[in-house]
Amino acid sequence: MTYDASAREDRGAVPATGSDRTFWGRLASWAPYRALVQLATATPRRQFLILAALPVLWVLTQHLGPMLQMLRVSLTDAYPVAAGTEQHFTFDNYLRFFGDRLFWMPFFRTLGFAFVFTLCTLVLTYPVAYFLARHVSPKNRMLLLLMLLIPFWVGEIVRTYAIMILLGNTGAVNLALKWLGLIDRPIPFMYTSFSMGVGIVYLTALYMLLPLYSALEKLPKSLNEAAADLGAGAWTRFRRVTLPLTIEGISSGCTLVFLISTGFYATPVLLGGPSTTVFAETIAGFFHVAGDEWPTGAAFAVIMFLAALILTTLFQKFMTGLRKGERK
Amino acid sequence: MTRGNRILLSCTYWAFVAYVFVPLVLMVLMGFKDSKFIGFPIRSYTLEWYMGIFENAEVISAFAYSVAIAVLSTLISVFVGTWIAVLLEGRKFWGRAAIFGLTVLPALIPGIISAIAFRIYARYLGIEPGMGAIVWSHAVHNVPFVVLVVMARLSTLPKSQIEAARDLGADPLIAFLRITLPYLIPAIMGASIFCLLLSFDDFVRSFFLGGYEPTLPVLIFAKLKSGMSPEINAIATAALVLTAVVGVWAERFTRRMNKES
Repeated sequence: MTYDASAREDRGAVPATGSDRTFWGRLASWAPYRALVQLATATPRRQFLILAALPVLWVLTQHLGPMLQMLRVSLTDAYPVAAGTEQHFTFDNYLRFFGDRLFWMPFFRTLGFAFVFTLCTLVLTYPVAYFLARHVSPKNRMLLLLMLLIPFWVGEIVRTYAIMILLGNTGAVNLALKWLGLIDRPIPFMYTSFSMGVGIVYLTALYMLLPLYSALEKLPKSLNEAAADLGAGAWTRFRRVTLPLTIEGISSGCTLVFLISTGFYATPVLLGGPSTTVFAETIAGFFHVAGDEWPTGAAFAVIMFLAALILTTLFQKFMTGLRKGERK
Repeated sequence: MTRGNRILLSCTYWAFVAYVFVPLVLMVLMGFKDSKFIGFPIRSYTLEWYMGIFENAEVISAFAYSVAIAVLSTLISVFVGTWIAVLLEGRKFWGRAAIFGLTVLPALIPGIISAIAFRIYARYLGIEPGMGAIVWSHAVHNVPFVVLVVMARLSTLPKSQIEAARDLGADPLIAFLRITLPYLIPAIMGASIFCLLLSFDDFVRSFFLGGYEPTLPVLIFAKLKSGMSPEINAIATAALVLTAVVGVWAERFTRRMNKES
């Protein structure tokens, strides 16, 4: 505990004297510094304002600013404004979305994909989290969990590429199936919603695993034992005890995975095909061509964000309701 | 729990481990293939592709570019994030919930939307696409993670220590620098490593805010779009090894720091 020791030999923090030779002592007794600190901490209110100024400015201009600017651009007819023309307020960018099948199809496809992939991730990771939290001794638990964490530090592109190698026509899966004699010619996994799903679940699994794991770990074993004593079978115990008590973990894991999987751009581009165009690709298209498409792109991004936000909020409301219902 | 269930569960776990590891292992292996074509089986092996990346100026400059961006953006995120955490933790004031909500906002915005919003805002602020824009977007995006990690650590700081320092005559700033900050070091280190990895591996923001010079993920993406080759495997493996080594080292480091204090 280094800070403890330094606090005890804390000659430096005492102002005045000047005989102190530590850095802190000299700083504390340096007249301009003292004047400055006195000025800043004259009243608790002023001290608080100085402390709060940077965070408030930062979150307003850097966190909220980009979103508000995007909203503003989405409501204009031209951005950037060409010289000699005027910028007008308009809803046309939003109306364009409903006008063309090429626009709203990818949008609903994205939501549908995100829903299915979230469900797949949940079904896949729940037993893994359950196993880690309930069947592994605490000593090995960290090791087994850490082993799963390492690949998740690797970036989106690298892991997407790994899936491309796995599922290609001359990939490992096709080779294995051929070797087992199950197929004669390779199954075209790539550039389908299947390959995209494998990739996205691969990228998001951790965000589901961790909330589930922490919810399951908190669950006392005694509850399950009590249920068993009362004669509940394994399935009933899971359905009536474990599942309801981990709803919070399920809800936050699903929310995270859903939000993240609507936002992937590179993975659908690399793993998907023409029939699986997602909304992220549609939005990106407006920013790659001529600049005057920016307002439409911004409007579509706003639509995407609002839809994702509304759906996840409704979902969380629903899950909270479910939890309360179970308790009654 | 019956025996059968137990075995089934452990099988699921190991199947998941395979799902997570096998693709990466195959990717590393494919980098050794002595052929231009990606695909199994691998009949002969070569080190050519891996040695090649050390001579490839494009890869080396992309690598250096990514590292520089990661370091710069992390410095900003850690500074701002720690400051916000100090403001938010243990204080009650009007608007605190709103500030907290806004603080975590960048972490909740789906990738593509965040990239687009940053792209628009960068033009509004007059930041040209390029290194400055990427550093700025990574810094903003990573602030929430720093805030959450530092707040968690800050909540365990015994208040008495600050009070003792103040009683001994330390002004608030010195009390912060000599008591609070040293106490926060493990959290700040952990958050820094996390930010470094997030920034180094980020694709979508680097892609939309980058100029002509590609970061490493953007370079890999560009190469992938023109076709797969063992060269890409070698580059991707280099990125993977670096990330994994830094990650494992950080994990051990933070655990040791946490044990010591």
